[in-house]
Amino acid sequence: MLSPLLLLPLLAIMILNLPIRSLTQKLSVWVGVGLSLWQIVAVILLATGRGCTDTWGKFFTLGLSCDNLTLVLLMSIGIVTLTTILVGWQTIGGDKQRFGFMNLVFVAMIGMNGTVMLTDLFSLYIFIEVTAVASFILIAYQRDTNALEGAFKYIILSATATVMMLLSISIMLLVVGDTSFAAVGSAVKQSQGNPLVMFAVGIFICGLLIKGGVVPFHGWLPAAYSAAPAAASVLLAGIATKTSGIYALIRLTTSVFANNESVNSVLLLAGTISILVGAFAAIGQSDFKKMLAYSSISQVGYIILALGCGTNLAIIGAVFHLFNHSIFKSLLFVNSAAVETQSGTTDMNKLGGLGTKMPVTNATSLIAFLSTAGVPPLAGFWSKLIIVIALWQNGLHTYATIAVLASVLTLAYLLLMQRRVFFGKVADGLANVKEAGWGITVAASILATITVGVGVLFPWMFNSVLMPISSFLK
Amino acid sequence: MNDSFILLPIAIPFIAGLVVLLISQRIQSVKEAIALLATAATLGLTITLYGENINFSIPWTGFGIDFALRLYHFSAFILVAASAFSFLFVLYSCSFMRDKPYLNQFYSYLLITLAMANGAVLSDNLVLMLFFWEGLMLTMFGMIAIGRPGAYKTAIKAFIIVGGTDLCLMLGIGIAGHLAGTMTISKISLPVDFLGSLAFVFMMIGAISKAGSVPFHTWIPDAAVDAPLPFMAFLPASLEKLLGIYLLARISLDMFKLTAGSWISILLMTIGAITILLAVMMALVQKDYKRLLAYHAISQVGYMILGIGTCLPIGIIGGLFHMINHALYKSCLFLTGGAVEKQTGTTDLAKLGGIGIKMPVTFVCFLIAAASISGVPPFNGFYSKELVYDAALERGTIFYLAAILGTFLTAASFLKLGHAAFLGKRSEQNDNVRETSLPMLVPMIVIAAVCIVFGVWNYLPLNDLIKPILGEERLAGYEFSPNTMLITITVIVLVGALLHHLFAAKVNGSGYKASDHIRHAPFLEVIYTKAEKRWFDPYDIGLKIVQGTSRLGWWIDRGIDWLYEDFAVQVAKGLSSIIKLAHTGSYSMYVVWSLIGVLFVVIMLMKSF
Repeated sequence: MLSPLLLLPLLAIMILNLPIRSLTQKLSVWVGVGLSLWQIVAVILLATGRGCTDTWGKFFTLGLSCDNLTLVLLMSIGIVTLTTILVGWQTIGGDKQRFGFMNLVFVAMIGMNGTVMLTDLFSLYIFIEVTAVASFILIAYQRDTNALEGAFKYIILSATATVMMLLSISIMLLVVGDTSFAAVGSAVKQSQGNPLVMFAVGIFICGLLIKGGVVPFHGWLPAAYSAAPAAASVLLAGIATKTSGIYALIRLTTSVFANNESVNSVLLLAGTISILVGAFAAIGQSDFKKMLAYSSISQVGYIILALGCGTNLAIIGAVFHLFNHSIFKSLLFVNSAAVETQSGTTDMNKLGGLGTKMPVTNATSLIAFLSTAGVPPLAGFWSKLIIVIALWQNGLHTYATIAVLASVLTLAYLLLMQRRVFFGKVADGLANVKEAGWGITVAASILATITVGVGVLFPWMFNSVLMPISSFLK
Repeated sequence: MNDSFILLPIAIPFIAGLVVLLISQRIQSVKEAIALLATAATLGLTITLYGENINFSIPWTGFGIDFALRLYHFSAFILVAASAFSFLFVLYSCSFMRDKPYLNQFYSYLLITLAMANGAVLSDNLVLMLFFWEGLMLTMFGMIAIGRPGAYKTAIKAFIIVGGTDLCLMLGIGIAGHLAGTMTISKISLPVDFLGSLAFVFMMIGAISKAGSVPFHTWIPDAAVDAPLPFMAFLPASLEKLLGIYLLARISLDMFKLTAGSWISILLMTIGAITILLAVMMALVQKDYKRLLAYHAISQVGYMILGIGTCLPIGIIGGLFHMINHALYKSCLFLTGGAVEKQTGTTDLAKLGGIGIKMPVTFVCFLIAAASISGVPPFNGFYSKELVYDAALERGTIFYLAAILGTFLTAASFLKLGHAAFLGKRSEQNDNVRETSLPMLVPMIVIAAVCIVFGVWNYLPLNDLIKPILGEERLAGYEFSPNTMLITITVIVLVGALLHHLFAAKVNGSGYKASDHIRHAPFLEVIYTKAEKRWFDPYDIGLKIVQGTSRLGWWIDRGIDWLYEDFAVQVAKGLSSIIKLAHTGSYSMYVVWSLIGVLFVVIMLMKSF
C-alpha cells in the first residue's frame, strides 16, 4: 500500500493533463481533496496493521519502507495537503490558475511522500529536490517582484544545499560504495576516524539545515514564506520544509549518524541559536506572515535541539513536536491567509480588531498561538514538555532552561500578534471585513480540532501512539 | 416549664429581626410595633425564666461541640437586663429614629443583636458562644455603617479592632478547650499555669475589648459621632458592657482558678486603672456631648475590670454591680444626649447652653445619671464604686489612688458637661427648644428611677442579683459594712471637684471652658494634641504600619514590574532590532552566512583530527 502513495499523485497529474482540460480543470480540486483524504485513510490503515502488503510494489522496484516515523510524517503530509487544497480552493481565483496550483501540489506530494519512504541517500536527495522544485514555482506563483525575489533566494540557497548534498553523496559513494542508509550508517560507525567521511556527514547535515531553515542557514525562509501565495505558504511552512529538511535530519541522525557526539553538539548549538534568533526576530516583525516565518525558525529550533539531545525520549519529543508544529503552524498560516484575503494586507500596523469580524479565525488563531507557546493542555505544551524533560534528564540543564525561557518569548510575540490583529479597536478601513470563506474556516477548524484533541487526549496518546513511535530507533 | 423555652429569647428577636427587614420601608409604624412587641415579649419571657435553672443541649456539629445552653442565675440576670434595655431603646427609637434612612436595617440589626447577645450569654459551649459573639460583630458593623454618610469608615475601624480581638478570643478558646479537653463551659476549671494563663489572657482580650477597655476602645468615640445615637446607648454603653464583663467574670470566676496575687490579677488591675485614667482624661477635654459620653463609657469599664481584677469577693461584687449600674446611667446619659440632639439639632457643646429650663425632664434625668456616674451618694454609682475602692485599697494603694482620681475627673467633666449644655447663657437659636416627645422621655425616666432605686435601696440588687453570682462559699466571712473613711474621702473628693469646677469656670470664663486649663497645661498640652491627632490610636498606628508596608511592597512591585515591563522588553527589542538589521534581504549575504555555518559545522566535526 506504500507505492500508491507515490504513484497515485503521479497518475493524477498524468490524467489531469490529458488534453481534456475543460473537464480536468474543474475536477482537479476534487481529485486533490480525494487524494489527501485517501492518504490520511491509508496511514490509519497502515498504522493499524492493515493493508501492509504492497501489491503494486511487485511491479515497480521502488525500495520503499515504512516505519512509525514515516507514518507520522505521512499523516502530517495528508492533513496539511488537505488544508492547503481547501485554502487554495478559496484563495486562488480562476479555474486555470487553480489547476496549475493543484498540479504543483501533487508534485510536492510525490516529493514529500517519496522523501519519507525511501531508504537511501540518493533517492532521498532526488525527492527533496522534487519537493524543492514544486516549492520554487509555488512561491513565485503570483509573479510579482516579492514573489520572484523570495523564490530566487530560495533557489540560490537551495542550490548551495544541492551542491553540498551531492558532494557528500559522491564522497559516500567513493568511500562506502553504496548510498543505502544501512550501508552508510555502518560505514560511518566503522570509520569514525576517517576525516573524509566526517566531512561528507558535515556538509550533508548543512545541506539539510539549509533546507530546514535553521539559523544561520535560514536567510531564504522569511522572504519565501511571506512572498508565497497564502495557500502555498501553508504547504511550505506546514510540511514541505519540515519534510525535506527536518525529517531527513531526524532520519539520518537516528539511523545513519547514530549518536555521534560531535553531530549532537552541532545540533544542540544550531537548535539553541535558532530558537533564540527566531524568537527575537519574530518580536520585531510587523508583517503577520514574516512573524510566523521567524516563529517557524524558532520552533524548528526546538526539534533540532531535541535531536541533538539524542535520547529516545528526546527523539519522541522531536517527532511529536514536528507533528504538532506542522498542525499549528499550518493553522496560523491558514489564519494569515484568512486575514490576507479578507482585509487585503498582512501588515499588522494596519490591522486590528478583527476578532469580532472573524470569530472562527480569531478563535482558531488563539488556539494555535497558545499551542505554539506551549500552554497546557494544548498539543504544543506536551511536545515542548517532553523535549525539556528529555534535555534535563540528559544533564543539559542550560539548554533546557533556554528552551523554557524561549517559550516565554514565543508567548510574547504571538500575544502581540493576536492583540494587534484580532483584539482591540477595529482598524481604519476594516469595518466591512467579513469572516473568510468556508474553505478557510473548515481548514482552520480541522487543524484547531486536531491541536485541541491531541492535547486533551495526550495521556492516552503518550502510551498508545507516542511510545510506539520510538520503535524505529534501534 | 419546658426546657426548650430557653430557645425563645434567641429565636423571638432573631425571627422578628428578619421579619422587620422584609417589611416595606413605607410602613414604619408596623416595624416599630413588631420591634416593640418582640422586645417586650423577650423581656416578659426572660423575667418568667428568671430563677429557673435549665440545661439544654442538642447535638450540633459533633466533635464535642453541642448546641448547649445553660440558664442559671447569672445568665438569667444578664438576659433580663439586655431585654429590658432593648425594649427601652426600641421605645426611644420610635421617636428618635423616625424618618431616618435605613430604618428597617436599624430595627433588624437591633433585634438580631439582642438575639445574638442572648445566645452568647446562654451558651454553655465555648464554640457556640463564639458563634453568637461573631454574629454580634456583624450587626455592630451594620449599625455603625447606617449612621451618617461616611460612617462606614468608622464601621470598618470597629470591625477590624473587634475582629482582631475576637481572633484572640478564638485562640484563647482553642487553647482552653485543648487544655480542658472539653468545650463545655460549666465543666471547665483550669489552673493558671503557663498555657492556662495564655488562654486566659487571650480570652480576656476578647472580653475586655468587647467591654471597650483601653487599648481596644478607639472606635467608640468615633462611633459616638458617626453611628445613630440609640446604637451608642444600646451597644457600647450597655449591652457590650454587660457581655464583656459577663464573659470576664465567667472566665475569672468559673473557668480559671484565679487567685489574688497572681500576675494576671495585677495585669487586670493595671489595665483597669489605666483605662480609668486615660479615658477620663480624654473625656475631660471633649467639646462634644456624645464624644464626652463615649470616653466615659470607656473610663467606667476600668472600674469593673479593676474590681474583678482584685480577685477579692468584694471587688468582684463591686465590679459586677458597677456593670449593671453603668449600663443604667450611661444609657440614660446617651438618651439625654439624643433628646438634646433631636431638639436642638446639635451636640456641639459650644452651640448648646441654657436649655435646662426648656427641657426640664431631660435635665433632671441628666442630673440623676450624672450624679450616679460621678459617684455622688446616694445614687447607685456611689455604692458600686465604694465596693471597688475597698477592694482596690486592699490590693494596693496605687490602684485606689487611680480610682479616686478617676472619680474626681469624672465629676469635673460632668460638672462641665452639665454646665455647658443645660446651664449658662442660652444662644438665640435655642430659644424655641421644647421638651422632647414622650416615647423618648419614658425610657430616660424609667432608667433614672432605677438608678435611684439601686442607690437608695442598694441591698436589693446586691443581695438578690449580684451576691448569688459568687455563691455562698466565696462570700463566707465577708462583711459588707460601709467603710466610713472611704466614704469621707469620696465626699471630700467630690466637693473638691465641685469647687474646682466653680473656680475654673470663673477663671476660664464659662462652664464650656472649665477644663481648658487642663487641656492647655504644660506637658499635657503636647500629649492632648498628639492624642487628638490620633498618635496613640493603635488602629491608626497599625494603619500607618500597613500603609508603610504596602508602600514598600508597591515599590518592590514596581521594581519587579519594571524588570518585566521595561527592562526585559527593552532588551528583547534591542536584540530584535540587531537581528533585524542583520537581515538586510541581500541573498549574497545569506549565502555567506550559510557558508560560514558550513565551515563551522565541518570544523566542529573534524576537529578531532
